[in-house]
Amino acid sequence: MTVAGTERRRQLATAFIGTALTLVMGAVLIWGFHLATNMRANITALQSASALQNYPEEIAHQLNTLRDRLEVRAYSGQALSDLQATVTRFDQELKKINTGGNSESPQLDRALLLWHQYRPVLDPVVAFAGQPYVESDSAGSALSREGRKHYAEVKQAQLFAADNARPLQAQLASLASTLQHSSSDAADHLRGLLFVGVIAALMLAGAAAWFQRARNRQERVARDATEQTRDILKTVREGFFLLDANYRIGSVWSEALTRMFSRNDFAGLSFEELLQNLVPAATLSTATKYIKLLWGDRAHENLMKSINPLGQLEITMDNGHGSKETRYLQFDFHRVMGPEGVKHVLCSVGDITSSVLLARELHDSQENANQQLDMMLGMMHVDPLQLVSFLDTAETGLKLVNTILREPARTDAEFRKKLNGLFREMHSIKGEASALNLKSIASRVHSLEDMVSDCKKRPELSGNDFLPLVLKLDDLLAHLRGVREMASRLTAIKDTPAGIAAQTATLSTTMPSMKLSAATPAPPAPVATPERGAPRSVEDLRPALQSMAERLAHDHSKRFKLTMAGLSEVPTAYSATIKDCLIQMLRNAAVHGIESPDVRQANTKDAEGTVRVEFRKISDGYELVFEDDGVGIAPDSLRTAAVRKQMITEEEAAGMDTRATMALIFRPGFTTQDGVSMDAGRGVGMDVVARSVYALGGKIGVSTHPGRFTRFKIVLPPSEAASSTAVA
Amino acid sequence: MSTNSATFNGKRSFKLMIVDDSNIMRRRIERSNKFEELELVGTAGNGEEALELFGKTDPDVVTMDLTMPRMDGIECIGRLVALKPSIRILVVSALADKATAVEAMEKGANGFLNKPFTDRQLNEAIAELMR
Amino acid sequence: MLYEQELKTFVEGTTNFFEVAAQQPASIGSPYLMEGSPSVHEYTGVINISGKREGVVYFTAPKAMLTVLLMKMQENDFSHETMRDLVGEVANTISGNARRDFGRDFVISVPSVVSGEKPSIPLRPGHRSFIIPINWRSHSAKLVVALA
Repeated sequence: MTVAGTERRRQLATAFIGTALTLVMGAVLIWGFHLATNMRANITALQSASALQNYPEEIAHQLNTLRDRLEVRAYSGQALSDLQATVTRFDQELKKINTGGNSESPQLDRALLLWHQYRPVLDPVVAFAGQPYVESDSAGSALSREGRKHYAEVKQAQLFAADNARPLQAQLASLASTLQHSSSDAADHLRGLLFVGVIAALMLAGAAAWFQRARNRQERVARDATEQTRDILKTVREGFFLLDANYRIGSVWSEALTRMFSRNDFAGLSFEELLQNLVPAATLSTATKYIKLLWGDRAHENLMKSINPLGQLEITMDNGHGSKETRYLQFDFHRVMGPEGVKHVLCSVGDITSSVLLARELHDSQENANQQLDMMLGMMHVDPLQLVSFLDTAETGLKLVNTILREPARTDAEFRKKLNGLFREMHSIKGEASALNLKSIASRVHSLEDMVSDCKKRPELSGNDFLPLVLKLDDLLAHLRGVREMASRLTAIKDTPAGIAAQTATLSTTMPSMKLSAATPAPPAPVATPERGAPRSVEDLRPALQSMAERLAHDHSKRFKLTMAGLSEVPTAYSATIKDCLIQMLRNAAVHGIESPDVRQANTKDAEGTVRVEFRKISDGYELVFEDDGVGIAPDSLRTAAVRKQMITEEEAAGMDTRATMALIFRPGFTTQDGVSMDAGRGVGMDVVARSVYALGGKIGVSTHPGRFTRFKIVLPPSEAASSTAVA
Repeated sequence: MSTNSATFNGKRSFKLMIVDDSNIMRRRIERSNKFEELELVGTAGNGEEALELFGKTDPDVVTMDLTMPRMDGIECIGRLVALKPSIRILVVSALADKATAVEAMEKGANGFLNKPFTDRQLNEAIAELMR
Repeated sequence: MLYEQELKTFVEGTTNFFEVAAQQPASIGSPYLMEGSPSVHEYTGVINISGKREGVVYFTAPKAMLTVLLMKMQENDFSHETMRDLVGEVANTISGNARRDFGRDFVISVPSVVSGEKPSIPLRPGHRSFIIPINWRSHSAKLVVALA
């Protein structure tokens, strides 16, 4: 638009200069012609005036001659005719000057005035045509009558001439000099005019040249611009093209399109044809609908941008070698408005394949790290029993980690409090994994440990910081599960004696409820027999639970001993649940139940607390007792907390007996609510324990004496009845 | 396109119909509406109800949920536009994927608002719709 | 293995609802894992996911929280139906977010709502779920992501 305006202005200027040049030159020529004509008249007049100067003296001189002749009675005819001729010529010349356009000259006026007085005096002399002499014998030649009159007239004219010839001459000389001046002035004018004309012509010529150069420059700029546009379109990495109202591609497009679409016949191609065979039919249909919408005035630009379905388009095409290739393209659309609505749609296409693939690779590498090969190599040289024992410890440790995570948290302080426990558990697992040279596990735990260390450094902790942790934990548990699978297969190969094989085969899945992550390749079908789903005995967890108890005691500055009895009695169908319950309750007891040694002593209790676990078979099933001799639970604070959480009304609370009150801690959500008081915290996760017990068809109960003990009793039905639900 | 004789800034009032299967959302939209020119003539819980209500009230402006029991929003948009080409429809949906939005616009919707939304976002979307 | 981005999409879908609908952001509590089906509150909005991932994602909230949320939304109907509507809308938002972010890989169902403390949410047996507490004001709800 502005370029066109500049061009139009330039054309106008050029036309103006041409016209001006013509006008100025014409004016100069006409004026010059006029001046030259005037000058020519002046020069003629000047010549006449110069000649006239001499006439008065000559007339005076000829009058003298005529008088001399008449006095000596000599022949006067010649002298008279000379005078006549001179007077006539003078008169004619004067008239010529007078009509020559110098009438305004005062000198000429005065000369003419004088001449008009002079002429009547001369006229009778000049007009004489008679005989001046008479011949008589007596006196020889004498003047005739006519002669005497003639003589008197000559003398009178001579008298006038003596007075006036000089003034007349002076006037004529002055006239000549005036004429001289005026003609030299005219010459000056003409010179000036020519000078001005030449200057004007030069200036106009200069201006014309300047404009011409500007035009050349503009043409060069335009040529450069075209060239630059071509260069841009040739080298830019994005694909650019315009779509017209028929959704067809215009004639100008960037070379990048050739690479992206492996074709170069874009001009006139419709958008639909461009994507045909490259994207699924549904995508193509959405894309074409969207393109059509761009032309409507139904939606404004921002809305259209926000619903662009081609932001990351996956296209599949032949790569020319017979195989398919997948690319990811990012399309952007901009409406180009004309006076009557949308004129074109500018489309830019970027190839984002590499960034998409990079993101994929990142994921893939994570997945690949999960591969079994490195586990296998690491496990080949580990004693199977040692390995299984480690897996138990690690799993127990990770479950404790999860138990720590499960404690509700809202504030930075609450989140931060978890970090030390998490770090310590992880560090211990990593140490054991490294000792056994189980690199795949050690590196995973290590990265989890790193995440925890990173969290410590952050200024403000929130649940968002823990999301990666819990994902990693999930991954680690899945990995341990994979290792366990692998271990059972390896031992099956290594130990041929049937007894050992049978024993180790049961190690395969301690957690029946845990499913292999989809990312881990499923074990081959023949090995994955239902019997292998049976978990191993809880008795084997004894060392892991003991070391966990020691760590918990150390971390929380407590002293207590853990006694466990009858764990070998736990049927395999229950072992996973029992294990989970034990971990949860052990942590609760260590953190919230057992008091610190000085508090205990102040209350006349033994500085070292006791946590007792006993499992036994009873008449119609099994019983697990978990007891600690710690602070116990105050029913009042449970009721208060439940009311505050709007789980029960105040009236309900007032009507609750101790038994009903204690049952509150098994209610879902009770302890995962806000405000972890000492008492509420005492029951952290007990709802989960209760649920898993109910799931096995069991019951759970609690008895407590504030300041003295808390005792949980879990009763489970005979295992045959529960096994079908437990082993899913 | 719609060349409704009435202009939004003019005196004439517009009739609004809200189509959403959630009571909360219906009331939410009703409450958020800050335009005096926009008079609520009815609410519907699914596409079929919307069509029935359309016959009775002839609304000019419609807010339309997409995922509804019985007739869904996309189909309902198509039917409404066929019955009254000048109708203006604002899709109000939690479906945030592009293909759904394009589909709705192609069927004749005039605007698209994602749930959840603030009062301001809703009023801006309505203003944009009536422009 | 579930990707962090996937988990974040679900979490953001949830917290976003509180921020926009009630003008008060929700924060997330300490996330953890759980085997088997976790406990639920009175109202639960569920979306089923299939395709690249299989499983369910649900938002479960106690009545007390929903009541306050409705008040903040200037709602004055606190009926059972309204509560169901509300968790349905939260699930709807989560579903919409997920469709936006991984629509190409996931098939995401229209949300369904269950109420009561012992509803049957068909979890795949043996699934490990991610439990993400959603804290809003003094209340706490749960987002459960059980995908494989």
